[in-house]
Amino acid sequence: MVAQQLLNGLFLGAVYALFAVGYTLVFGVLDILNLAHAAIFTAAAFAAFSLAAAGVPLPLAFLIAAVVGGVLGILLDRVAFAPLRRRNAGTLVPLISSIGVAIIIGAVLRGIYGVDELHFVTGGRDAGTTIHLGPVTFTTVELTIFVAAVVLMLALSWVLRSTTLGRSIRAVAQDRIAATLLGVDLERTIAATFFIASSLGGAAGVLTGLEYNSVTLDMGSPIELKGLAIIILGGMGSVTGAVIGGFIIGAVETLAVAFGLSEWRDAITFGVMFIILVARPSGLFGKRALRQA
Amino acid sequence: MNRSSLSTLAFIAIVALATPSFAASKGPAAGKTVHVGVIADVTGGAGVYGTPQKNAYELANDDLKSGKLDAGGANLSFDVQDAASDGAQVVNILQKFMTDGSTAMVLGPTLSGEAFKAYPIAARASYPVMGTSTTAEGVTAIGPSVFRDSLAESQVIPTTVKRTHDKWHYKTAAVIYGDDNAFTKTDGDIFTRELKSAGVDVVDTETFHQKDTDFQPALTRIESKHPDVIAIGALFPEATKIIQQAGKLGIKAHMIGGNGLNAPDMYSVAGPAAQGTVVGAAWYSGAKYPSNLEFVKAYAAKYGKGPDQFAAQSYAAAQIVAYLVAHGSTTKEEMLTGLRNVRVIQTVLGPIGFDSNRDAKSSPVILSIVKDGFSYFH
Repeated sequence: MVAQQLLNGLFLGAVYALFAVGYTLVFGVLDILNLAHAAIFTAAAFAAFSLAAAGVPLPLAFLIAAVVGGVLGILLDRVAFAPLRRRNAGTLVPLISSIGVAIIIGAVLRGIYGVDELHFVTGGRDAGTTIHLGPVTFTTVELTIFVAAVVLMLALSWVLRSTTLGRSIRAVAQDRIAATLLGVDLERTIAATFFIASSLGGAAGVLTGLEYNSVTLDMGSPIELKGLAIIILGGMGSVTGAVIGGFIIGAVETLAVAFGLSEWRDAITFGVMFIILVARPSGLFGKRALRQA
Repeated sequence: MNRSSLSTLAFIAIVALATPSFAASKGPAAGKTVHVGVIADVTGGAGVYGTPQKNAYELANDDLKSGKLDAGGANLSFDVQDAASDGAQVVNILQKFMTDGSTAMVLGPTLSGEAFKAYPIAARASYPVMGTSTTAEGVTAIGPSVFRDSLAESQVIPTTVKRTHDKWHYKTAAVIYGDDNAFTKTDGDIFTRELKSAGVDVVDTETFHQKDTDFQPALTRIESKHPDVIAIGALFPEATKIIQQAGKLGIKAHMIGGNGLNAPDMYSVAGPAAQGTVVGAAWYSGAKYPSNLEFVKAYAAKYGKGPDQFAAQSYAAAQIVAYLVAHGSTTKEEMLTGLRNVRVIQTVLGPIGFDSNRDAKSSPVILSIVKDGFSYFH
């Protein structure tokens, strides 16, 4: 039972981490909370559903939907954040503006897809085959999700550390004005940040939809608050923190249930977060970690 | 009796038989206009339940126009307002209906939690309201003007436990239910109570929250206790995932559930793991009541998919209201008196009446999930 529960926690944590990485990236660069991240998570899952329904193979549908998420991220920035940025609107106004965009995305999705739960695979089959390995059971979909999440997070880490774009992103995160003076194209870098963050959020949405074979209008709401908890726990703006925070929250949630405390699950999860924050108020990896990534 | 009067009688009988049964009769309210308000969560989190409700009332409006649904010649119509799964909006809409001077009664809202917020207002004003999906314990106890045509979980689950226990003679059970929703919490409480009183040892109780998608940690824990039966207190989205994930983990225990599991897509979504799951419910889509078969067909033709229990209970409410109007109730006072004097009305749920607690008086159906649908559990 313990091995199965640890595996359950690992799969859950991988998707949490992937979602939170995109969430924290935007915060690290722009110092704003993008509350439309969960809406993009949902929109990408619907996009993948439409592609799969049109006969596109699932791996390709996943990649295209992640790109759709990224493009939505760029649009989100153009609509909700860029105009406010030009007018130095501070951090609270963009927060509200992103909530507005999230509501609009939700309404558009409802208009297109209706309110019913949608399923990648019908006829009650699992989207993958079940594997029994000693004391544990998992599906190929779960394994793929875990691998995809880890690969995407490693890829992000490489981009941030070893590419020109990554250096630009880190420079903008460090000091926007100085980066501009040194020749970094600010708007292009921000657009790239939104693309990366939102495609990762979108990827998390598609993977969640695939794992539970379920795409719904409100699938983003449970992960939205947890994502926020994870990035605070990991240290606002820290990509490493978001990954580790994601796995911690996934493990704590699973273990709370494993020890027979399911009705206390969320209280325990947020309690653990509270205790860590009391010990380290800036989160596990500090506030400025992205700038040294 | 001579030959001519015999042939006259025969003629009358033939005309009566040949006249379509849905030709509108002329009741005491003929020609009067009656508005009935409906509060449904068409959008928001409960949109999947409120939308079939709205569909059912739209179908009822169509059927009233065509005469299939008989309101005794009155111009009865249902005005559906979307509460967007927001308790405050439910209260606002109810107050609007109660004070607009033209709405004779209100049907809905969709969720029990919303009913607990809104119904006390109606009860204080002796304004008639009827829930069609608010099945939690205590809803009708809010006040003497609160009715419901949906069987409460407390009416369905005891029969489910008894019938399954009589057949399977199980000794142990686990209960898994949502603890943040009045309906699923009621399920969990009643299952636990009924299982214990049947002498079953409840070896584990797990809770979850609405919109949860991952039930594997809870199911893994349940499986470690090896229960004979798993009782599920959940609504459709969570129930399908619980059943599907239990199948994936190789759990072999029998599964039983309440009204929340009575949805036409149960098998196609939850998969083969759902086969044999026993569902206690208020309605069976295959029940042979004439109006039910017609309703199922008309609904599927209009909306492209079959009705679920939410739609059926709403359509039954429309039938009850049409019956009351046909018998002369057009104001809120008359509706209240009419509801109190109802004996038996034929609806898509079967013959239905109200008991002294204003709860629906009819028998639950115990169903078993089979490939692509349900059958009676024997």
